[in-house]
Amino acid sequence: MAKAEIVEEPQAQAEKIDNADLLIGVAGPANMAEVKAKLDQIRLEMVSSVTRLKIVFACLGAGGLDENVDPRGIPIHLVDLQMPAADPSANPWVIASQSSRALLSLARQVNARVSIVLGSDLLGLDVLTIERLSFPILEKQSDLVMPVYPAARFEGLINSAILAPLNRALYGLRVRYPLPLEFSCSLRMAGLLSQQESAHAASSQQQMLYPATTAAITGSQISQTHLALQHEAQTDGLDLSTVLAQLAGSAFLQMEQLAPHWQRVRGSQPLQSWDPPTVGKENGGPIDVSPMIDSFMLASRNLQEVWGLVLPPVTMLELKHLARLPAAQFRMPDELWVRIIYDFALAHRLRTLSRVHLLGALTPLYLAWVASYAQEVGTMPAMAVEQRLEQLARAYESGKPYLVSRWRWPDRFNP
Amino acid sequence: MWQQIQQSLVQSIERVITKIVTLLPGIVAFVLALIIFAAISWVFAMAIRRLLIAIRFDERLSQERSSLAEWSPGSTPTVLVVRTVFWCGIIIGVLVGVSAFEAASAEAGISAYIFGYVPRVVGAAILLFAGNIIARFLSRTVLISGVNMNLQYARLLSLGVKWLVLVLTAAMVLDHLAIGGQIVDLAFGILFGGIVLALSLSVGLGSRELVTRSLEREASRPVEVPTEERKIHHF
Repeated sequence: MAKAEIVEEPQAQAEKIDNADLLIGVAGPANMAEVKAKLDQIRLEMVSSVTRLKIVFACLGAGGLDENVDPRGIPIHLVDLQMPAADPSANPWVIASQSSRALLSLARQVNARVSIVLGSDLLGLDVLTIERLSFPILEKQSDLVMPVYPAARFEGLINSAILAPLNRALYGLRVRYPLPLEFSCSLRMAGLLSQQESAHAASSQQQMLYPATTAAITGSQISQTHLALQHEAQTDGLDLSTVLAQLAGSAFLQMEQLAPHWQRVRGSQPLQSWDPPTVGKENGGPIDVSPMIDSFMLASRNLQEVWGLVLPPVTMLELKHLARLPAAQFRMPDELWVRIIYDFALAHRLRTLSRVHLLGALTPLYLAWVASYAQEVGTMPAMAVEQRLEQLARAYESGKPYLVSRWRWPDRFNP
Repeated sequence: MWQQIQQSLVQSIERVITKIVTLLPGIVAFVLALIIFAAISWVFAMAIRRLLIAIRFDERLSQERSSLAEWSPGSTPTVLVVRTVFWCGIIIGVLVGVSAFEAASAEAGISAYIFGYVPRVVGAAILLFAGNIIARFLSRTVLISGVNMNLQYARLLSLGVKWLVLVLTAAMVLDHLAIGGQIVDLAFGILFGGIVLALSLSVGLGSRELVTRSLEREASRPVEVPTEERKIHHF
């Protein structure tokens, strides 16, 4: 006979838990069989290190799991996470951000000293990751711990080309992955992130969560930890144009909202990093960049009129020079790429043309950058690739006065 | 004989002058009504502009992800509302002016005729405006999407869409203004029917083999991503 399970309402489950030490949550719908297996393993492996901590685990559907399976394991309280109804058109990052916000609200409710948000692929649901994410908050008084994933030259290129260097230049902190799948934060930080959510309540449901940005503008202490997790690309069913538009669009939108903060910031500070860096798997071999160059060439023949609305004449001239280069010498200078991103951010703010069109017109330029970068770093050792990305990030910082000038006086300052 | 000509001339001049004198108060009333309503509209539009700026209308609308700004990105929502209010005032001024013209000049039937036609003109203007914006938006959408899909004929496709929408708009405007009568309908039907027939014939007869080859190529194309694409992960 099947055992009848009575699942309590999530609100009631949370109210029964008071002053939790550690809240571990999965941001997004997860495979419950895998969740159960991993939780059982964590219960047994965590015995020695954190027996006295009150641990809460929350995810969508967690209320249906048994709280104590093995008497040797530590107790973990389970809470069924309540999430707002997901928009079917929402991308994986928006869904993860919505789930993260729900987790942070729960963290405030249960007064969790540390909240750990994990990706829905459950790669991070293991003792090592949990320890690495909780240690800086429990022992070193960090407010926010951001992940550093294993370095791989052709992984996460939108992050390397736009998100990370742009965030670094704007908010002055060298965060390697500003849009993380895993992160952890203190109760204070969970409160700040929740307040930020209610401040922009109308738009926050569609906005992505950049925890490091909130921490940067509130002067919270941020650190990074190296995680040996290699997430698979989450872009199944989405084309590059859509992904780029959503990610770059979210960064530009945030720039617009936080303009008074980032205009005052100069330079950048390194973050305290914990644990040794890990090296990612390399795909190996050079990459054929000709399709990407062809895409750029096609766009440079057809999109001059659209780019001309966004980019100043000097940049247009440089793009024309770039289009005339033979494939082997195809290199996009960092300064040019940085100015393109800054000009697109400005056009996004000024609505020079429809945002759908604006972000669509960025795709061929991004492909030109990828082609140039791939040719440059194809044979470089891993350390040199990191240095190359550091050089790009410095170019973003050097170009910031250009952005500030154009942002403040878009009509007067147009080189 | 000369006296008769002179008399006839004087009488016709008198008639014209009398007509002008009769119409003059109406014209002055029309101009005055237009000026007064233009001034009132301007004041009203400025007041609304201040109000919308005070309540941060643009920011609220952009937070709510309104599609209004997507369709007409050159102007902010505030500017669009203010312009609409101003031009509505001007149109009301014209109507009041016409009415005053009729009352002052004792020319019966003018305002009835104009009032009857004004809704058509307004409708046609809205159609023309909307058609232009839609044509521009769709043309740019097709161009950018086509380029991102690596279509060599993206510009041609974009131009085709633009002119298709513009021709459709022109036909609708003329039909709405009741200009050309059945000729516009017929011409538009023939043009569209002709295009569809030409495409059908070219696909069915002339390009049959080309289409077959193209479809076969599409069907046999492997679904998986090319090797180079697999090596690069954009996120």
